[in-house]
Amino acid sequence: MFLTRSEYDRGVNTFSPEGRLFQVEYAIEAIKLGSTTVGIRTPEGVVLGVEKRVQSPLLESSSIEKIMEIDAHLGCAMSGLTADARTMIDHARVTAQNHAFTYDERIKVESVTQAVCDLALRFGESVHDEDAMMSRPFGVALLIAGIDELGPQLYHTDPSGTFVRYDAKAIGSGSEAAQSELQDKWHKQITLQEAQILTLRVLKQVMEEKLDQHNVQLAQVTPTKGFEILDETRLQEVIEAM
Amino acid sequence: MPSIEQPQQRQFNPYSENGGTILAIAGADFSVIAGDTRQSEGYSIQTRYAPKVFRLTDRAVLAVNGFAADGNMFVKKVRQRLEWYRHAHAKDMPLRAIARLIQTMLYARRFFPFYVYNILGGIEEDGTGAVYSFDPVGSYEREACRAAGAAQSLVQPFLDNQIYFKNQLPAPGTSHPAHLPLSTVLSLVIDSFTSATERHIEVGDGLEIYIVFSKGSTSLQGLASVRGLQEVTTTDDGERVFVIRRELKKD
Amino acid sequence: MSIMEYNGGSVVAMVGKDCVAIASDLRLGNQALGISSNFQKIFPVTDRIYLGLPGLATDVTTLRERFRFRVNMYTIKEEREIEPETFAHLVSSTLYEHRFGPYFIEPVIAGISKTPSGGVKPFIAATDLIGCLNFAKDFVVAGTASSKLFGVAEGLWEPDLEPEDLFETISQTLLNAVDRDAYSGWGGIVHVITKDKVVTRTLKGRMD
Repeated sequence: MFLTRSEYDRGVNTFSPEGRLFQVEYAIEAIKLGSTTVGIRTPEGVVLGVEKRVQSPLLESSSIEKIMEIDAHLGCAMSGLTADARTMIDHARVTAQNHAFTYDERIKVESVTQAVCDLALRFGESVHDEDAMMSRPFGVALLIAGIDELGPQLYHTDPSGTFVRYDAKAIGSGSEAAQSELQDKWHKQITLQEAQILTLRVLKQVMEEKLDQHNVQLAQVTPTKGFEILDETRLQEVIEAM
Repeated sequence: MPSIEQPQQRQFNPYSENGGTILAIAGADFSVIAGDTRQSEGYSIQTRYAPKVFRLTDRAVLAVNGFAADGNMFVKKVRQRLEWYRHAHAKDMPLRAIARLIQTMLYARRFFPFYVYNILGGIEEDGTGAVYSFDPVGSYEREACRAAGAAQSLVQPFLDNQIYFKNQLPAPGTSHPAHLPLSTVLSLVIDSFTSATERHIEVGDGLEIYIVFSKGSTSLQGLASVRGLQEVTTTDDGERVFVIRRELKKD
Repeated sequence: MSIMEYNGGSVVAMVGKDCVAIASDLRLGNQALGISSNFQKIFPVTDRIYLGLPGLATDVTTLRERFRFRVNMYTIKEEREIEPETFAHLVSSTLYEHRFGPYFIEPVIAGISKTPSGGVKPFIAATDLIGCLNFAKDFVVAGTASSKLFGVAEGLWEPDLEPEDLFETISQTLLNAVDRDAYSGWGGIVHVITKDKVVTRTLKGRMD
């Protein structure tokens, strides 16, 4: 696919003559290798779901962490090089805490997303004696879910630092099939429970293994309870309701 | 003849005290923030018109008292932060967020403080009138009323009595009102400043009273017959801000 | 440490219509420590003159005795009761005798005098600690809560109050002022002096 690439792939911050940043594009490609991750916005809240690829029967599936809390009202699911996401989520958490400390209010979903994306393009050479944080683009995409004064929202960020708001979004290896399924099934009045079920159905379709409470994870952000990861019992209930 | 030099000590004092008094009272759906306009240093009057009360947004008014240079710079910095916030978050900063911001800005200078007492008045996001008062290093509290500055000791106990009804028993079967109507509040503000002007040399010359009304406040009618009124609102169908300018004795 | 704030305490006096009132708190302290909540600092001089002595407690006692002695001497020599104006000058000159080593007291005087036509004239006065007289027409204040008393009194007082209204005004002035003063409070006492009687009431106040 990229056999004809030349020296322009090398510098992380060098444009090709056609005006492209190859390393950033490769990073976006890296996400397509990641496990499928789904997010759905409803009027009652936002649902996040991920597939956990359990490569070995000896692997403790509960140790795979692909959905993380940013703040009480903000959650995040990832796909791609999940290790890179730690840096980004750390930054998001600090930004959210700093906002609460300085302004005594919850940060908006868009603002925290913007903060994460500001970080995304801070790679390459450092300015003066400022230490470079990252020498390459992040190889991870995030679905940031949250609730603020504008209601429940879902944002997608990618390694280029671009962010877009979605009603429903799938990323990762099965994203193409998943996204078209979401487009079919999502509607304005979708309930939170319907969204939970839809998330699992979409994941089920694109997963190779049989879906159970160990190889998927669900989380949601609601106005009353904020961000929460569904425990195995509740997950089991949703699976049974499918 | 050779003489032995004695050690000499010199010191620069970066602070001064410029007198004046500020005051704010919260109503149910409005907030009144006032200050006199005399600026003095020692026994000299530097100017008879130096505003101490500033409109920050259509829902927040800040009164600053103490060292005038620090006060003016502080207001400038708060306004700069409000603009940055507007750019970053696409909205005006809510009142309680401004209050917290002021705390962090003051505490950031814990070891070289802004020599100012701040009183922030305005409308909360739930539409209620609010007053926040601060010490110079950022300790703050939301209250129904507060006086600060040169005549704080004269005005605050008067307000305790007239706003909080301290040392007054309600008539049997009744209770004290939690909030007073605008006309009463304005009378108390004017009385407080005329009293302070009478007994304190650093208070006088002019009086500026800012009034912030919540969206659709019915208290607006209370302004109908007020003398020297001017509207300073900048946006439509939101909170509204007015200012009343009055003379105080100049002696 | 200011000697004037060593024991704390405040006094206020006000003029009404054919009446005067004088009021004080009841605290005696040792700086921040409260010692007594029944320390009198207002004393009758004659049937119609009361004297408030806020300041250093030891001087309160000394001056009270000194003025009792000097008023008794005046009464015996003159064979008549002392007039409020005369007493005010007695206070002033007594204090000024100690110009360079003063008593740490700022006296407040309240009384009514009879006019030749048979009417009554309310009288109040205050001095600083070396006896500089201040004959105010409305109200006088002294003590650790003086600036607070000034503020409240300026807001509440009005001319020609009847005795009952004057009582309410001076009581509210005192209580609200001393509540904002750490060195004054712990209850109060009010004397309202009219033509034919003196009404004394103790006030329940915050005990903190």
